[in-house]
Amino acid sequence: MTSGKLIRTIFFVEILKGLAFTLKTMLFTKPVTRRYPKVKVPALPGFRGLHALAKNEEGKLKCVGCGLCGAYCPSKCIHIYTSEGDDHSKVVDRYEIDVLRCVFCGFCVEACPFGAITLSEHYEYANYKREDFYMTKDRLLGNWDKYFAGPKGERYFKDFWQPKSENFIGARDQAMFSKVKVKEKK
Amino acid sequence: MNDILKTIVGPELLGDAMKIIIILLKIAAVIAVGLLHVAFATYFERKVMAHMQVRLGPREVGPLGLFQPFADGIKLFFKEDIIPQNADKPLFYLAPVIFFASALTSLSVLPFFDGFVIGNINIGLLFLFAMSSLGAYGIVLSGWSSNSKYAFLGGLRSASQIISYEISMGLSLVGVMMMAGSFNLSDIVRAQHHYPLGIFAVPQLLGFFVFVVAAFAETNRLPFDLPEAESELVAGYFTEYSGFRFAMFFLGEYTGMLVMSSVAALCFLGGWALPEFVTANLPEFAAKALGLFCFLIKVYAFMFLYYWVRSTLPRYRYDQLMAIGWKLLIPLALCNIVITGLAKMWFKGLL
Repeated sequence: MTSGKLIRTIFFVEILKGLAFTLKTMLFTKPVTRRYPKVKVPALPGFRGLHALAKNEEGKLKCVGCGLCGAYCPSKCIHIYTSEGDDHSKVVDRYEIDVLRCVFCGFCVEACPFGAITLSEHYEYANYKREDFYMTKDRLLGNWDKYFAGPKGERYFKDFWQPKSENFIGARDQAMFSKVKVKEKK
Repeated sequence: MNDILKTIVGPELLGDAMKIIIILLKIAAVIAVGLLHVAFATYFERKVMAHMQVRLGPREVGPLGLFQPFADGIKLFFKEDIIPQNADKPLFYLAPVIFFASALTSLSVLPFFDGFVIGNINIGLLFLFAMSSLGAYGIVLSGWSSNSKYAFLGGLRSASQIISYEISMGLSLVGVMMMAGSFNLSDIVRAQHHYPLGIFAVPQLLGFFVFVVAAFAETNRLPFDLPEAESELVAGYFTEYSGFRFAMFFLGEYTGMLVMSSVAALCFLGGWALPEFVTANLPEFAAKALGLFCFLIKVYAFMFLYYWVRSTLPRYRYDQLMAIGWKLLIPLALCNIVITGLAKMWFKGLL
């Protein structure tokens, strides 16, 4: 044992260093605790929370019952039942999501061609019964009114769950096909 | 009225009755205030440790979470009292009582301020040692009577630990006794007036160090909390206890810490004594209140050391614990006694 090491052992240099560190932490470091129910941290942009079914300008269901969301859904938690309406159109009778099975991957939103299914920023929906987590069509439409109302919800919807139909361009306007056209002309 | 009473029971008996009543009142005051301090010691610990771990600690119950200890107490009181089927029932009931009572009894010889002590006996320090060793019986009995391997191992560990550290603790205080020439705690405090800074911690630095380490081990606190090592023994000797019996162990442990802090404050840090120039111009009451305040600050500084070390150091291994006790602290304490004795012999005029 060298003399330096002996002195360090006798005077507990390492332990004193540790004590100094904890004291410094106590006096100068701000606690990282989030006082959750009292102080809420806002959800990050693009947060995938509780589902909602979008309404169009007339306040009616955007969903046309194509069933793509249900087909894509990896946990098979979307159940859609449709029937034929009076003018031979498709009517969505039931649109149900079993939220307890959902993994919040957001594939349904990506699959939907009309931007009818969305995920809101809402995440505090703890409840007592299993049935409370089984979202029917009415409850999903209600979620839209609750969590996408007002300009904030509208912007959120536009930024993150924008309907693909609004981005559609005809085949002729797409770069690939326009090149083909050029070739034809030559 | 007094005359009538005197004629009925006689003057000596009346005086004795008054003495007993005064002592009972003193006991009630010390227990009430002492337990209040114990309650807030737990709050203080949780706050200090939380901030050292970059957390906030309790702050929901009452202003700044100050009512948290009472909430905990009420919760513990209403918990189910579970007793293991194969437990040795009488001993199981008795163990927490022994532990808690011995911790509380230690309070009776501590002078909190000038002239206030329940039992002003001239073997105060020995009494404290006896009581802190008696507390070990509560731990060992609880470990035995629980009929659980974890509790039993905790009890055994506690027994050997307290036996080992009781020696070094006693020896560390021998230096103090030699310098003060008394076992009485009030006399020890008064004897410190003539020393540098008015405290024994300066001439008895070695003894103070040994005492601090032994006090940690004696009260089963980290880094020597092997009897209740959570990661190995669930909760050690009180694994099988619940509800109010658990609360008694809990209170006993914190009372023990307060007693050890008080002994450190009285024997090494000057207790309630203040410099003459401060107390000279003050009325007696103010001087005593200031002395009590001074004493409490010392006690809580020592308690803070407990928490500080707890949140810094990991637990020692069992052989390390024994090695520190027998190979380091006891030789150091003996060394301290020899040095003190020689110094007292050679510098008779000075000390």
